Amino acid sequence: MDKAVVSIFKLIKAPIYSHCLSQDKSLLAITCENKCLIYKINPASKTPQLVATLDNHDKTVTAVDISIHGRIVTCSQDRNAYVWEPLSDGTYRPTLVLLRINRAATCVSWAPNGYKFAVGSSARIIAVCYYEQENNWWVSKHIKKPIKSTINSLSWHYNGVLLASGGTDGFMRIFSGFIKGLDSKEIMANSPWGSKFPFGTLVREQYCGGAYIHDVQWRSNVEKVAFVTHDGTLNILDYQGTLQSVNSPDGLPYKSLLWVNDHEILCAGYNCHPTMFSESSQGWKFSRDYDKVAVSNILKDSSNNLNTNPSNQQFNNSLNNDNVNDDENPTFGISALKKFKELDLKGKVSLEQKEGAHENTIVGLIPFVESNGQITQVSSCGLDGKVVIYNI
Amino acid sequence: MSDWRRIDIDAFDPDSRLTAEDLIPSYDRQITLEELQPKMQQLRTLSSGGDTRNAIHLITQDPPYSADDNTKDLYFQVVLETLCQVRQVDIANIVKELNTEQQVVLVKYLYKGMSLPEGQKQGGILLAWFEKLTQSNGITPIVHYLSDRRNV
Repeated sequence: MDKAVVSIFKLIKAPIYSHCLSQDKSLLAITCENKCLIYKINPASKTPQLVATLDNHDKTVTAVDISIHGRIVTCSQDRNAYVWEPLSDGTYRPTLVLLRINRAATCVSWAPNGYKFAVGSSARIIAVCYYEQENNWWVSKHIKKPIKSTINSLSWHYNGVLLASGGTDGFMRIFSGFIKGLDSKEIMANSPWGSKFPFGTLVREQYCGGAYIHDVQWRSNVEKVAFVTHDGTLNILDYQGTLQSVNSPDGLPYKSLLWVNDHEILCAGYNCHPTMFSESSQGWKFSRDYDKVAVSNILKDSSNNLNTNPSNQQFNNSLNNDNVNDDENPTFGISALKKFKELDLKGKVSLEQKEGAHENTIVGLIPFVESNGQITQVSSCGLDGKVVIYNI
Repeated sequence: MSDWRRIDIDAFDPDSRLTAEDLIPSYDRQITLEELQPKMQQLRTLSSGGDTRNAIHLITQDPPYSADDNTKDLYFQVVLETLCQVRQVDIANIVKELNTEQQVVLVKYLYKGMSLPEGQKQGGILLAWFEKLTQSNGITPIVHYLSDRRNV
């Protein structure tokens, strides 16, 4: 196992679409089919302890988030959201939030102050919800225009007004989620993004060829927003409108991103391991992989194995020659070839084949340990039902 | 119970229809065939003069995304001729000189070629281009192509 991997929690036999941690990192919430499972993370015992099951939804739960006050919000393909208020006996009291949407809710995010949250949906609507004391009710206000398709991801600026969204129409948009009586105009006084922010205003719009946007995240103190798209790029936009794009080194798209500090972003997705990008005076560049399955070693092993068999000598040579020609991309198609050769020769896949911590696509990255604006450990969740902690 | 999937929930809400046009990026203006003629002439001159390297660079820069389908097809005929003019031994070197955006444009033309009868007649040449491109750049240009809504 790569030394960057701190721990692997195999929690469920179903994909995890979303996970999050409480403010003090003691509770872990994951989505599991039409439930949301709450675990207690205990440093002493290795595996997290299941402490609560939130099961009011009747379709797949798509996202979960925990506010700074410990309130949990879940949203689901049943078009509803629930806010779960923690009670003193360790249980949760659900409150239904009527989102007034006619398609699945896809993503949810609490505003930094914990008094409102935004839900993205397939109904081309972002619902911004807040609690109304006099009615004892969560109110949902809609942002509709000019969204053309499903929203995949939402991120609040630290000021709690600017809301970045990304979706399948290929537009990264920044809206104002200003709620009268909840947000103060003073907080936006010196914002470089504009001067007036009534609710629903389109503050900025960025199109990048039409690829699906999988994840978007603010870095508030440097006034930048980063997003990953299905064409395998990481894009960073600043308030002056400068857009920088950097390609994933192996070409596969990312499903999730996380700002580690002001100049480093961690991405993860279809290649099943996290990748770090960093900013220098020359702009954003790939910096390193974590827990990457070492294909070059496997290749070496396979050449040795093949050498013992004279009939394979010629094939082996041609394989090596190919490597010389394609030295920029030695892994292309070889691992699958190797797998079937092993099956053919030995009747099994060789044991040298290292597996990464995640065996399927990583769909979420969140901070696990953080100090002075620098994240040192991250937690990831994947379609393999695992939560993995990495040292960064 | 499974019937709810067949209910047309948009039947009474015409605004929520997503049309094909909604997904195509909007351009400020459409480029016309007349405006493209000089570029097509330049391409013919370059490739008949044997300067295939510059011809490929010209093809892969500023493709006419905003043109209508008819114009795109006429323009593609010239592109295909140029691609076929390049000698096999030069392909790898030319591909290496292209930047990422140019490679994506090239992949778009290769796939377009494979989808048309006139391109399929030159299938071997298109595949040779494709091979060199994936050898030097892996799957990156293809992943870009798959999700790009600006077509040639």
